[in-house]
Amino acid sequence: MRSTKLRWLAPISAALAFLAGSFSLSAAPRYGGTLHVQLRASGVLLDPREWTAASLSAAESQKVASLLYDRLISLDDYGKFQPALATEWTHDSAAKNWQFKLRAGVRFSDGSPLTPAHAAAALQATLGNNFEVSATDTGLNIHAIHPVPDLLEQLASGRNFIFRVQTDGTLLGTGPFFVAESVAAAPLEANPLAIKPARIKLQANENCWAGRPFVDFVEVTLGEPALRQLYDLQIGKADIAEIAPDLVRKARQEGIRTWSSAPLILVALRFDDGLTAPAADQLREAFGLAMDRDTMANVLLQRQAQPAAALLPHWLTGYAFLFESPMNLERARELRASLPSGEAGAGQALRLHVEPSGDLFKLLGERVAVNARQANLMVQVTGPGNASSASASAAGLRLFAWRYDSLSPRANLEAMLRQMPDGTELPANASDSEQLFAQERRMLEERRILPLVVLPEYVGIRSSVRNWNASAWGDWRLADVWLESPDRDHSKSAGEAQTQNSMAHNPGAKP
Amino acid sequence: MQSSAATFRQNRWGRPVFLAALMLICVWTACSSSSFFVFADNDTPLRETARKLAERIAAIPGLREPLRLEWHPDEKWPEGEGARWAEILRDAFDRRALQLSDDAAVPVLAVYAAETQTQVVLTAKTHIGERDEIRIITIPRSSLPPAELPVAPVRLERELLYENPDRILDATSFPDASDIGLAVLLYKNFEVTAIHVDAKGGIKQALPLNVAGLKPTRDPHADLTLHGTGGSVQLWGKQCDFSWESPGDVKCRPEKLNASSNSTSPDDAVLVSPCDETNWTITQPDSEPTVRAVLRLVPDGATQGSSATLTSEFPGPVLNINPEPNPSGALIVVRNLHTGNYEVHKITLACAD
Repeated sequence: MRSTKLRWLAPISAALAFLAGSFSLSAAPRYGGTLHVQLRASGVLLDPREWTAASLSAAESQKVASLLYDRLISLDDYGKFQPALATEWTHDSAAKNWQFKLRAGVRFSDGSPLTPAHAAAALQATLGNNFEVSATDTGLNIHAIHPVPDLLEQLASGRNFIFRVQTDGTLLGTGPFFVAESVAAAPLEANPLAIKPARIKLQANENCWAGRPFVDFVEVTLGEPALRQLYDLQIGKADIAEIAPDLVRKARQEGIRTWSSAPLILVALRFDDGLTAPAADQLREAFGLAMDRDTMANVLLQRQAQPAAALLPHWLTGYAFLFESPMNLERARELRASLPSGEAGAGQALRLHVEPSGDLFKLLGERVAVNARQANLMVQVTGPGNASSASASAAGLRLFAWRYDSLSPRANLEAMLRQMPDGTELPANASDSEQLFAQERRMLEERRILPLVVLPEYVGIRSSVRNWNASAWGDWRLADVWLESPDRDHSKSAGEAQTQNSMAHNPGAKP
Repeated sequence: MQSSAATFRQNRWGRPVFLAALMLICVWTACSSSSFFVFADNDTPLRETARKLAERIAAIPGLREPLRLEWHPDEKWPEGEGARWAEILRDAFDRRALQLSDDAAVPVLAVYAAETQTQVVLTAKTHIGERDEIRIITIPRSSLPPAELPVAPVRLERELLYENPDRILDATSFPDASDIGLAVLLYKNFEVTAIHVDAKGGIKQALPLNVAGLKPTRDPHADLTLHGTGGSVQLWGKQCDFSWESPGDVKCRPEKLNASSNSTSPDDAVLVSPCDETNWTITQPDSEPTVRAVLRLVPDGATQGSSATLTSEFPGPVLNINPEPNPSGALIVVRNLHTGNYEVHKITLACAD
């Protein structure tokens, strides 16, 4: 009966709704507040020219740098290149000469205008000597010595930011934030044995060409131990924090929202020169067959990593599945038995130097030694603390972490080749996937590098953080993040006092 | 003489008319090329890629046919996408006269598809003698047509009316029943353009608003209202009025900027059932964007969890909802999280058979 009586109301309400215009179903983004971010690195370099290619430290620095500087273009989640500081681009049929038109009216965070000369100088420094970058009236010309069909992939990733070098040597960007304050790590007044971590405070760039970011400030705290980060997420002292792979399960069990990237970090073994052929070939093959990658990924890393047989990950090349790395202890022992008795690994222990710091890599190094011993290969593990000692320089084997820092498979493989002792270069014509595959296969057959596992990056995010839309390749896109309760001051949260007392920073506990 | 005069008239008017028609076609083609239309045949890039792969396979030295095709599509692809590629590959192999067989005894030709950040990688692998032969072909993801989406299994009619890679700020139907097209507000490179889309998805008119002093924002949103021969657009910090008949006559004035205000959602939208005229409220769970968004239609008096509710699935977050002149329908603007395109769907309540 009720519906019959009110039937005439329905068309009227619909008509009113039509006249009223559109409805919005999702809550409107909110402006304001401070986003508290914690990174594991104890320091970051804000000058991309100083970054070591494919290093874990460069990846940390890039997370902060991407808030200060912009790139010419960006890649969206759908495989499309989007204009950023460049609005248009063209290239010749050989993909050696590229022209970019610079966006008009863009200003650095100090209000000074961005010019083509600034952009050219920045890119010349980051792209290197295989490129000639020159400014034109409205943009840039980039000339490459060899064809670079993947230049857009390169420009949309890695250290190819646009910046201006100031007279004091610091850099200025056009990005959504600028550095408002930078505080170095220092002993706590209350407890001089504990360290107050380094902190960088970034302030929103009100006149950013792409629009003001939602939050007013991003406060980045550096060098927090992994467990402390997890705790800070729980008590609301951190909004976003990195999570070590071996703590991901714990974080999820405790109800922390987690995010993971595509596998971005390759952990691998690299043989130094100094081993005599053909014994070296046999030794490398024996090592390759002895490694239990499944156990490393599934037990040590609690299924938060994947066994790796390729140098480049599948998400980057699409063909990594073609490579295999089967474990065959019996064959490894046979090869070991045929080694000369005085050879490293047979008669004398081979030194395995673990390059990256942190418990995780130490565990992996120890696991490599265990696997080697199962094939009667002798390995002595040395850690990053010994890096300057004679043992590190004389190491026959290194465990290293390689953080893919370009969206171009070719650029990653090229960088990897440059790290090889003999400085091999990628053939200039290796521009298509089939040639890159052939090159990667050659490198794997040489066994100078033995891939072990690939790891994603993990991040813990508080529920009050909205519009978290990080890219699979590890770009956090914090300028688009907003806080549900921007007025709440996290630094005055109830748990803080308790945290500082019970979990004071101990320098020895730092990764 | 009469015929001469007619010829003269044709000569005098024929060329300009022909040129004008040609220009119109060019303009229409240029407009059409910047957007995708639902019913266009977009398989050409796929076919070209498959053709290249077939050529590369056919050129493998010592290849012994027939081959048994094993197809391994990308795990993330919907079933329909894998099936479409498989059909196109078989067709390409057939055209290249590569013999395929289902006989288990013949050599295997394994073809894998994988999506990287920028490309779709097709890898063919076969074993000849003692060696593996690998052939790899890639195609930019951006050149591929969007995958066909499954239709939601509910008695709520849903129709994709228009899609565009550029951001759709708002879309609305013309209030005049004689025009069954759409007005769509696009935002590209910080510029706002109103377009008139015809019933087939073609662009009838594009009207750049050229709003001076529009501040760039990370949360572009707008409200488009049509009236008479024009409309008005409420942007962040600006209110503009325009006319389809005089495209150069766009008038904008400052409006109080409310982009930074912490406003809450307005009232939910309401559809009216054509069967019994009951009100159905459209609601959406307030959550972070996911691959699929669900709109729930709840009839008056029922709760959200009630079995009386209807649901419709969309391929990404719903950005806004506009009522239609027909009270049983609404326009839904959606971001497709698979393709990245913005889409306008029409949902209509229909009586169940």
